[in-house]
Amino acid sequence: MRKYLYIFKSNLMTNLQYIGNITIGFITYFVVIFIFANLWKYIYSDQSKLINGYSMEQMIWYVILTEILWYATSGRKLCNKISDDVKSGNIAYNLNKPYNYIGYALFSHMGEAILRGFLYTIAGVVIGLFLLGPIENFDLIALPFIILSSILATVINVILVICIGLTSFWVEDSGPFYWIYSKLILVFGTMFPIEYFKGIIEVILKYSPVYVTTYGPAKLLVDFSYQSVINIFLAQLIYLFIAVLISLLIYRKGVRQINVNGG
Amino acid sequence: MLMVVKNQIRCTLLALKYGIMKEMLNRTSFISNVLFMILNNASMLIQWLVLYSLKDNIGGYSFKEVMLLWGLAASTYGVSRAFFASAFKLSDTINKGKLDAFLVQPKSVLLNAITTHVSSSAFGDIIFGFAMVFFYGFSLRVFLLFFLFTVTGGLILVSIAIILGSLAFFLENSEIISDNGNNLMVHFATYPDGIFKGVTKILLFTLVPVGLANYLPIQAIIEFNITKIVFVLLVTSFIVFLANLVFKIGLKKYASTNLMSARV
Repeated sequence: MRKYLYIFKSNLMTNLQYIGNITIGFITYFVVIFIFANLWKYIYSDQSKLINGYSMEQMIWYVILTEILWYATSGRKLCNKISDDVKSGNIAYNLNKPYNYIGYALFSHMGEAILRGFLYTIAGVVIGLFLLGPIENFDLIALPFIILSSILATVINVILVICIGLTSFWVEDSGPFYWIYSKLILVFGTMFPIEYFKGIIEVILKYSPVYVTTYGPAKLLVDFSYQSVINIFLAQLIYLFIAVLISLLIYRKGVRQINVNGG
Repeated sequence: MLMVVKNQIRCTLLALKYGIMKEMLNRTSFISNVLFMILNNASMLIQWLVLYSLKDNIGGYSFKEVMLLWGLAASTYGVSRAFFASAFKLSDTINKGKLDAFLVQPKSVLLNAITTHVSSSAFGDIIFGFAMVFFYGFSLRVFLLFFLFTVTGGLILVSIAIILGSLAFFLENSEIISDNGNNLMVHFATYPDGIFKGVTKILLFTLVPVGLANYLPIQAIIEFNITKIVFVLLVTSFIVFLANLVFKIGLKKYASTNLMSARV
């Protein structure tokens, strides 16, 4: 475990040198939140009403956190990196290293994701307080649960993206698979809470990655309850276990296809 | 003069033709890129379906009108990226001294520089955009106006990209400004202008001219307002002229680099 923590630390230190690059992304983040704030303010013309159990403030804070999780993960970059490693044969260099490639990819990317998440949280809190003020009935007790759930959400998301990137062992371009996954998370996970979807879609979403990667932490932020803590953490731990298992299986199966030709 | 223009158009069309042929070398990849972009755009229908289940009218737009707006945003984006993708990398072209190759050619430096690359997925945006005309309700008038505004909107996006890209002639690290400016245009384009108020609305019709590329054309299509149609045409001509002027002024300051590279 120590070697993975070292990988995490060294990537964190590297990314600290490029903090400026991360903060540039704030502009897009601010614009997205600003547009959604305007949209929800328009839809909640009567600001005291609840839609599907959420007030206007809760909806905007929900989007603020889900977008933080989205930007922190930067999945496209990770998927491209894994895919390139497989296609270029770089992955072969990891075979004789004293670590597992999945662990290496996870911890090295988390070094960046944690820093991005931290910086985007500062930006998100500032823009949220500026546009809406503090969250109604927010209890500080919820904070450690939200942080832990957000970290778990990012870890699960990163492992799932690694799985998608590893499909490059069999298909030329894993991009389309990532597209589908990212749209699932973006459309169903970042914009609306699951309660906005009715019937069978709501049930499917409760079992989908949306529940553990975006909805869970954001639900704890805007509508905290200990029952939600139990449900969300349980789901996250099960998903984490399954995601790790699947990624190891894909890697083991895929790595047999590598032909090392020297050079 | 007419001959020069004719030759330039022929040269630009040839550049685009070879760009498309290059993209189509891997036909499977080309088709999958197009299809996935259509799917990508279509997935956003879910967002609007959910929002319109809450309210019948958002920012003065009905569901079909918002789909037309979304379609125009996609098709203008598609035209700008499909045929002029290099315009969005202009600051990189300038910073790395890649303009040298175009300076020695006896044709327009700007046109040659912005038509060297074709983006295959952007064709999916164009197809999706025109599909939205049928969703809105096809009529020859709507179709022709949509086509016209796809061209004007595309030209506005490319012109803004040229103006922002040309900042590289004057500033260091202008790529950040350029990328963010171009992204701003895309983000605002898909949401009804009625949800924005005050300064934001003014900005959307001036400094970030999404209003001129998308909102005003949609109003012109819905209302069939000749004044708005003429206004969009005039404003587009002005922005294209301005982009050309900024690039020309900047080009006089161009000093190349010592970076050695080969164009393949």
